[in-house]
Amino acid sequence: MKKIINNPDNVVSEMLQGLAKANPSVVYSGVGIEVISRKEKKQNKVGVISGGGSGHEPAHAGYVGYGMLDAAVAGNVFTSPSPDRILEGIKQADSGKGVLMIIKNYSGDVMNFQMAGELAGSEGIKTDYVIVRDDVAVPDSTYSTGRRGIAGTIFVHKIAGAAAEQGKSLEEVKALAQKTIDNVRSMGMAMTPCILPAVGRPGFELGEDEVEIGMGIHGEPGVNREKISQAKELAGKLVGRILDDYEFTGNEVAVMINGLGGTPLMELYIFYNEVEKILTEKGIKIYRTFVGNYMTSLEMAGCSVTLLKLDRELKDLLDFRCDAPAFRV
Amino acid sequence: MSFVITSKDYINYINIVSKKIYEDRDYITDLDAATGDGDHWTNINMGFQSLVGASDELREMPICEAFKKIGMLMMSKIGGSSGILYGGAYLAASKAVAGKESIDSQELCTALEAMVNDMMMRGKAKPGHKTMIDALYPAVQTYKEALASGTDDKKTLELVKQAAIDGAEATRNMEAVKGRASYQTNKGVGHLDPGAVTMSYQIECLCDYIINNVIN
Repeated sequence: MKKIINNPDNVVSEMLQGLAKANPSVVYSGVGIEVISRKEKKQNKVGVISGGGSGHEPAHAGYVGYGMLDAAVAGNVFTSPSPDRILEGIKQADSGKGVLMIIKNYSGDVMNFQMAGELAGSEGIKTDYVIVRDDVAVPDSTYSTGRRGIAGTIFVHKIAGAAAEQGKSLEEVKALAQKTIDNVRSMGMAMTPCILPAVGRPGFELGEDEVEIGMGIHGEPGVNREKISQAKELAGKLVGRILDDYEFTGNEVAVMINGLGGTPLMELYIFYNEVEKILTEKGIKIYRTFVGNYMTSLEMAGCSVTLLKLDRELKDLLDFRCDAPAFRV
Repeated sequence: MSFVITSKDYINYINIVSKKIYEDRDYITDLDAATGDGDHWTNINMGFQSLVGASDELREMPICEAFKKIGMLMMSKIGGSSGILYGGAYLAASKAVAGKESIDSQELCTALEAMVNDMMMRGKAKPGHKTMIDALYPAVQTYKEALASGTDDKKTLELVKQAAIDGAEATRNMEAVKGRASYQTNKGVGHLDPGAVTMSYQIECLCDYIINNVIN
């Protein structure tokens, strides 16, 4: 393992301290709480928070700012934060109009955020939540945990954050977040494993010439492991799976090409160049595109594609001003 | 007359199992790497080490209060799914033996049953889902049956321990329904569930501790 760290046990708190020092618009809660919140708290606004295991930077602390999140709660690497931490995030975000929690669909996150919501309720803070499940690599199922939440979560942060900034109620912000979840689909692939700082070695192996289509952002196995092919073929595979799942044809979409942490921007742009061709050919109109590292998996190489179907209402919210360390519109 | 255990006994057992978990780092991490993301040992070890650190305080509490404090510590120190499932389970155990300074065999069984029920409710999981419940649930069932049939303490605990070990072993052939292993094409079949293994360690060490140190 070759990482710029001091002690594997302190990576989360040291990372958040660095993030807060680099971005004076946010504040760090303190060691053991691991919450990043806005420095200037707005009054009488629905609070929007998110969080989850660390290792996905800039998610979620990088999305705290005007027009996006009010607070982000960090767990240990790839591990959900505990209810006491989440409760602190809720308190930081609450200004009397309630708090919406945006949860990625992993059983640990869902259980911990739900319990934090109950704890907040017993302290008189109203909360509600939505669960993001955009990863089409996993079958949608009520029997198992079902689809995971991946890069599509960033669009949910953006839309809900804009709606809250505009003064909408908790019910309205939740409805718009849910509409975004209903309209968003993602599909990813990985080329190298990632190394958890506390483990020190890769959790799985991938051959020098192999990619895994559909691998999750914690290295969860995907749908198919195969020899690496050209960018156009890889783009075709990922986009094809999304289009098989949801009808985007004839609609306008926002596109996100998300790097997993170890893939150069050069490759992400080459990949987008192919995605754009496929979408245009299929009669899907691209309204806005985001290319970058938004929901990473430590140093894993690979990327994901996210498509969000837009209407007038979602376009306005997507275009609404946003000023977070890792997302500016 | 049944044996009686106090917080001192329980914390002594916690120290023993913490050591076993600590020492089995590579084995547990390898199991987890096969089906999960490799962090189970790190998180569970952090939780148990926090209990070890709080041992002096915990030993002085009534056992019902010690269970509550253990629950709060595990919830905040382990994190993830395991943290809230263990935390919730210990809070449920605390309620099940509310007001008790110490507990006898029947009450220990009641506490363990409250734990497994809370885990199943909160995690929406059942026996057979390839989780830690697969070690705890058969242990609790065996415990209840042994108590009902008037089996002696030593034999009872030996049966409970074996049920947990067998239960963990049985996860090898199960398909995961919950957690990261459920995303694998083969649902983790052929691999032991690391959560079930660390749960079986706990039952094993608890039974051994009582057999060797409490039952005369």
